[in-house]
Amino acid sequence: MILRSCTREAEVKALVERGQWPQACAPDLRAHVDVCRSCSELALVSAAFGRARNEALRTAKLGSPGLLWWRAQLRRRHVAVERISRPILSAQIFAIALNLAVAASLAVWQARHGLAWLTWLQQVSHDFNSQWLGSILPTDLFSAGSGSLMNPLVLISAFSILALVGCVVVYFASEKQ
Amino acid sequence: MPKRRISRMFWESSIPNILAGDAAPQASSAAVPPMDDEAFAAFYERSARSLWAYLARTSGDPTLAEDIMQESYVRFLCLANPPSYLAEGEIACRRYLFRIATNLLHDHWRRPRVGSIEEMPENLFARADEHFSSDAQMILGPALAHMRPRDRQLLWLAHAEGYSHREIAEITGLATASIRLLLFRARRKIARLLQNQECASQARGRQA
Repeated sequence: MILRSCTREAEVKALVERGQWPQACAPDLRAHVDVCRSCSELALVSAAFGRARNEALRTAKLGSPGLLWWRAQLRRRHVAVERISRPILSAQIFAIALNLAVAASLAVWQARHGLAWLTWLQQVSHDFNSQWLGSILPTDLFSAGSGSLMNPLVLISAFSILALVGCVVVYFASEKQ
Repeated sequence: MPKRRISRMFWESSIPNILAGDAAPQASSAAVPPMDDEAFAAFYERSARSLWAYLARTSGDPTLAEDIMQESYVRFLCLANPPSYLAEGEIACRRYLFRIATNLLHDHWRRPRVGSIEEMPENLFARADEHFSSDAQMILGPALAHMRPRDRQLLWLAHAEGYSHREIAEITGLATASIRLLLFRARRKIARLLQNQECASQARGRQA
């Protein structure tokens, strides 16, 4: 397609933009527009768009700029907090991953060495049963089934529950802050 | 040997006045709005009508135009590197705003439509009628409906807003060289449609 623009297009456009087309147009320019396809199209299209724009500007219903300013403030703040929280979240994920890795390696290491600490823990719980609980509670209350109520599994479970409750408390406290 | 003073740091202190919603001028460019609230209110009064007109006429949906217009202003105020109102002036800010709105409109058109016509509110059509019932729109509206969305945008920016080819290229993200050709084709097509409409209305007038 060959683009041919008329040299008088700028004049026509200026007249339409000023609202002087076609009444305040010079007769020679008007005669030119009648025969020039490019200029006649420009005049027609520019006049139609100009009228539509004026009509739209008149009918536009605008909201409050204060509300938009407030929304932008909120979004900026949210973005800033998110930007700050991202490294903290990454650090938390890294810490959890590290803890899991240490726990896993410890479990593997213990499994290879025959869980020697369990016998030590059993000895501690046995001493605790006989020396302390035996003096204040009836013997049949804490001695049930195969062995002591304070056996290593019970101790581990108790520590786990304590740790879990502690984590939940810390979580809620930090959420509240 | 001088003693090193170790002060305790809080996360809030890494962005100044973050909890107050203010921003320090040099601390973080992301938190600095391009203008203060009073300047923004004045800028909004001068630019919002033309932006709404552009969006409403190119999308054909006044409600969508309102939504996109609001989102454009909010994004403009949240820009990481906004054009400075004082240094670059209102024209640059306005051009940037049109660019944001154009991108949002493109995103809207690209998004797949999931809603059915039954889900649309009744007042959507009532409002559209109210906005598009003027004589000017009765003439231009049907012609614009036959144009492609991009052509509508180019025509509006060139003939209603009076932007140059370079400015239209900045707003739409197209190359300056292709704007000329696209505009030429679009203008030829809409001129033919407008002429046909004019002929049809003259014929109707003669019959009446």
